[in-house]
Amino acid sequence: MVENRPLLTFFSHLALIVGISFIALPVWLAFVVSTQEASALFAGQVPLWPGEHFIENYSSILFEGEKNSGAPPILLMITNSLVMAVCVAVGKITISIISAYAIVYFQFPFRQAIFWMIFMTLMLPVEVRILPTFEVIAQLGMLNSYAGLTIPLIASATATFLFRQFYMTIPDEMIEAARMDGAGPIRFFVDILLPLSRTNIAALFVILFIFGWNQYLWPLLVTTDASYYTVVMGIQRMMAVPDSDPIWHYVMATAILGMIPPVIVVVTMQKLFVKGLIETEK
Amino acid sequence: MSTVTLKDLKKTYANGFQAIHGIDMEIRDGEFIVIVGPSGCGKSTLLRMIAGLETITDGELMIDDRRVNQVEPGKRDIAMVFQNYALYPHMSVYDNMAYGLKIRKKSKEEIEQLVNKAADILEIGALLDRKPSQLSGGQRQRVAMGRAIVRDPKVFLFDEPLSNLDAKLRVQMRIEIRKLQRALKTTAIYVTHDQVEAMTLADRLIVMNGGLPEQIGSPMELYDRPSTTFVAGFIGSPAMNFIPIQVDKKDATLPSGQKLNFSAPSGHAQLLLGIRPEDIEITTPELADLTLKVSVIEPLGADSLIYGSCEGMKEDLVVRVRDKALVQEEEIFSVRFNQQKLHYFDPKTNSRLP
Repeated sequence: MVENRPLLTFFSHLALIVGISFIALPVWLAFVVSTQEASALFAGQVPLWPGEHFIENYSSILFEGEKNSGAPPILLMITNSLVMAVCVAVGKITISIISAYAIVYFQFPFRQAIFWMIFMTLMLPVEVRILPTFEVIAQLGMLNSYAGLTIPLIASATATFLFRQFYMTIPDEMIEAARMDGAGPIRFFVDILLPLSRTNIAALFVILFIFGWNQYLWPLLVTTDASYYTVVMGIQRMMAVPDSDPIWHYVMATAILGMIPPVIVVVTMQKLFVKGLIETEK
Repeated sequence: MSTVTLKDLKKTYANGFQAIHGIDMEIRDGEFIVIVGPSGCGKSTLLRMIAGLETITDGELMIDDRRVNQVEPGKRDIAMVFQNYALYPHMSVYDNMAYGLKIRKKSKEEIEQLVNKAADILEIGALLDRKPSQLSGGQRQRVAMGRAIVRDPKVFLFDEPLSNLDAKLRVQMRIEIRKLQRALKTTAIYVTHDQVEAMTLADRLIVMNGGLPEQIGSPMELYDRPSTTFVAGFIGSPAMNFIPIQVDKKDATLPSGQKLNFSAPSGHAQLLLGIRPEDIEITTPELADLTLKVSVIEPLGADSLIYGSCEGMKEDLVVRVRDKALVQEEEIFSVRFNQQKLHYFDPKTNSRLP
């Protein structure tokens, strides 16, 4: 905007400030509550400024867990969530990048049919096929394991589709030039296609990491052993303690801790993420 | 430094469309061959067959004495320059040029030496660390050529390499390609739809039409003695004029009823008379072969094109003159044909009469 219009500046800032507080206030409240004593919250009023029990609350929840609800230490749950989110993201990207390569660059019978079959799995997220998937995982003895947590979530078409679309925008001359240079299919994939997909991979990693991190229903079903609990389901378990008031200060501390890793991932990969979404390097 | 032999080379696509109807040709060592033709004539398909990017459905392709029909492009020892350059965008200029050598397992020192040598020839030494996105069109073109020459292949293939450049750069690069090929003495096959490029670059020219070579020969041979009306119309700019004439014994009559004051070859009742714009001159009415009415004058600088209409002829006759002040628009003027430069074609077969 070239002209100087103070009123417009004022209102646009106001809109931004309202928007930010709308998102930030609950986070702030969660943080405030997580630093209070349990008794401070039963008065029915939510304090607005942090209390004095920050270190105490966080260290106990991080390393000891909440005994009454049978929740393991948060550190363990965060590790589980991390393993799950990273496995889901890496697994999905690996599988889809390879399958998209096959679909775009190789002529084989029923190529289109196979693509549409992969595409159709878009309509079948875990929630829809939860019973049969659970049955399969149970039969394979994969309950209470990282494999059981991640493998059913890895199978999906979104990423395959995305990479297929990206590969189709790469000019044919690129592979022809590589063939003239003497590169075989694997060399072309590793030397040319992977580096070109770098930003796409990063963008997808961020999205899929958060997708994996936020999984709730599936971990709830396949884990009965506390040592495989993830943070997101852990919060729910802490809130639903029978015959006792919810221990809000611990729940909120868990929520705050559970928020940190996705934030770190988004912030560190933000540049690549935006690049991957808006710009194609060709 | 190689020969390329095409023996009845054919290409039929899976959908039954036949793109190449059989080409026989021997390309000599160090020769610069240009394949030219309108779009869809199969010229790019032919080049891609030689490159190995399209399968050969029939016939034989030999490089030196090796049959390469089934050999992968990378193993044919050829290099190709693409129309849109096809540089690897994530690699520096150096890596782009070194990539093929790396795959061929050359040592680091050898690669460095070869790349630097090629970069010197093309004067892109200062650009070696840049990415292709930081280069101008002409520089990219040089890098694409560098990628080809660095491997010292048996054959260079060029697929319309200059068509993405602006007119001035195109002329400059055209001359450089010619010089480079002369210096390296590598056999080259070059595809273009631009007949000026074709004429200036080629040792021998293939004019393709509908999947068949219409004529193969040196540029001047094709210019002076085109074997078909297609070649006659394609080579030379502006194109040759064609005038349908009636022949009765030795008297030739124009569609307007005007009699020509020279004799045409006998034996055909109908003929197509071909004459290039530069072989027509403006003259006085007494010496005229034909009178025309000016419809448009196009000044080109050094010379001008005068489009003249004549009764009974569908298309305007184009005359190239040095001095455009000779005529005005709408004026009637007389022209004379250079008797040595007349071409006669059979209108049924479109082929040249001797």
